[in-house]
Amino acid sequence: MIICSYCQAQQLDGTIFCTVCGASLIAAKPQRQTTASLNRAAAEAAELVEDEATILPAPANPASGPAIALVVLSSGRRIELPAAPELLIGRKDQQRGFFPDVDFSLDGGYDAGVSRRHARIVCSNNRYVLEDLGSSNGTFLNRQRVPPGQPMPLQHGDEVQFGMLLVRFEVSS
Amino acid sequence: MSKVDLRITPSRSVLPASTEPQLLYALIELAAQSGATKMPRLPLNLCLVIDRSSSMRGERLQQVKQAAMQILDLLGDNESFALVTFNDRAEVVVPAQLARARQEIKRHISAIEAAGGTEMATGLALGVQELQRAMMPRAVHRLLLLTDGRTYGDEGRCVEIARRAQSRGIGITALGIGSEWNEDLLETIAARENSRTHYITSANEITKVFTAEVERMQNLFAQDVQVRLALPPQALVRSLDRVRPFIGPLPVIEEADFVWTAALGDWPESDTQALLLEMVVPPLPVGRHTLLRLNLRYRTPGSDSATQSHEQTLPVAFRDPDEVGDSVDPTVKHWLERLVAYRLQASAWQAAEEGKLEEATRRLQMAGTRLFEAGQVELARTVQEEATRLLRSGQASAEGRKRIKYGTRGLIGREESS
Repeated sequence: MIICSYCQAQQLDGTIFCTVCGASLIAAKPQRQTTASLNRAAAEAAELVEDEATILPAPANPASGPAIALVVLSSGRRIELPAAPELLIGRKDQQRGFFPDVDFSLDGGYDAGVSRRHARIVCSNNRYVLEDLGSSNGTFLNRQRVPPGQPMPLQHGDEVQFGMLLVRFEVSS
Repeated sequence: MSKVDLRITPSRSVLPASTEPQLLYALIELAAQSGATKMPRLPLNLCLVIDRSSSMRGERLQQVKQAAMQILDLLGDNESFALVTFNDRAEVVVPAQLARARQEIKRHISAIEAAGGTEMATGLALGVQELQRAMMPRAVHRLLLLTDGRTYGDEGRCVEIARRAQSRGIGITALGIGSEWNEDLLETIAARENSRTHYITSANEITKVFTAEVERMQNLFAQDVQVRLALPPQALVRSLDRVRPFIGPLPVIEEADFVWTAALGDWPESDTQALLLEMVVPPLPVGRHTLLRLNLRYRTPGSDSATQSHEQTLPVAFRDPDEVGDSVDPTVKHWLERLVAYRLQASAWQAAEEGKLEEATRRLQMAGTRLFEAGQVELARTVQEEATRLLRSGQASAEGRKRIKYGTRGLIGREESS
């Protein structure tokens, strides 16, 4: 059996795309559950958990300004962002040493074409700008392409698309 | 003499000798090789059933008339032609007749005018009746339907008439143009042997699509094509789908223990056919095992007795799980990815209908991802846009829905060269 890392459905060995949600099961390296290799699987699973589960930074001192968040529209997952002058958005890759502040690997980021270093949000004086970092599949702000390297102002309620992944930017004071 | 190239490509060429059942995908490709000798051509018995509601006025109807006249010129003297129009009522413009008095027939065609509403069932019924008047043995009977509007209240009758015709060997090509027609209805009408549906996105494609379709019907390589899949004990056929020339499920019937059959209908020579099989393989020991015996049967046009038969097997090596890598055949993966996108969008529309908007959006977005990975970037963007629209407004656009439904199946515009 394989467990789909996207929707947790059980799938037969050899399945390429999950029959329940359609996610790719070969790129995401799903956890194997072979009784024949139970120990190995357990070791692997432990490794994987460590590798995949990004614990998002808890919001820093709430008194230091408005709280900002990104909401993944497909799943409704709300990612509270720490108050930091610069936030890197992308996909975590331990082997190549990429640790973005916002990691979309659990949101189907790989399938949606999110780059490891995709974009950044820069904050100064409670104003926010979004900058594409030369991502492979582009960043879109309210459906307009954000040209790489040209920061665009970002406001509460804006829709941002990283590759194919759609999120909403929220500011709450 | 004619022959067939049969090729079976498994998703993995080496499987682990596991203690659990596993899934194997196989791409079955059929290519016709008619060789130097030209196939005998079967006479065509054709009826065009044309929507002439007021929305067809202008370029659409102009193009349809031109297409009808070109089709007439494509037909031989012993082929039968008929033309029925419908709006609020239906009318036989050209009764079924051999394509001989061409000037007179063309005069009738050019006198067609657009007016009124859309009521399809009566038009279909008259069209079928004209075809039945010209039934001749060993002919290919086809009804070509074109509509740009929604028929109200008689959808059930349309499907009923279509099924009756199909059971008598009449194939139906259902063409939609514009954004107002009912794609669910056309898809249902065409979901049988020798039938297909197509989305014409602009009027200037009408002539091209019509004539290409008639040429396909005229050049049949084989008829009554059947596939028979024999699997090892305890193995199962999970599904069988057509992926070329267009994507769509194929009903399979378990005919005997571990033997499944499916009917493919007629085979136009220009079509490369490809099917994607999903099979559940039981645990098997290390060694070489034949996982599939494929038998293809068909009749060649003109020879009514001799059934031709081809066989191909799929041997697969089973090894110790530690020696087996996870590489997957890229061609199989490509077609599977497109099939998965088609299935996801289909279930998305169903979820949307049941009011599960988030579920529908999620499925559409995943369909977009699959299309994106399969290199269908343009379509992936359309899917993404409609997913966003659906989430925001609770509704997809009529045109977007059609583009996605027909686009994922490969049924828009001209045949893709992939």
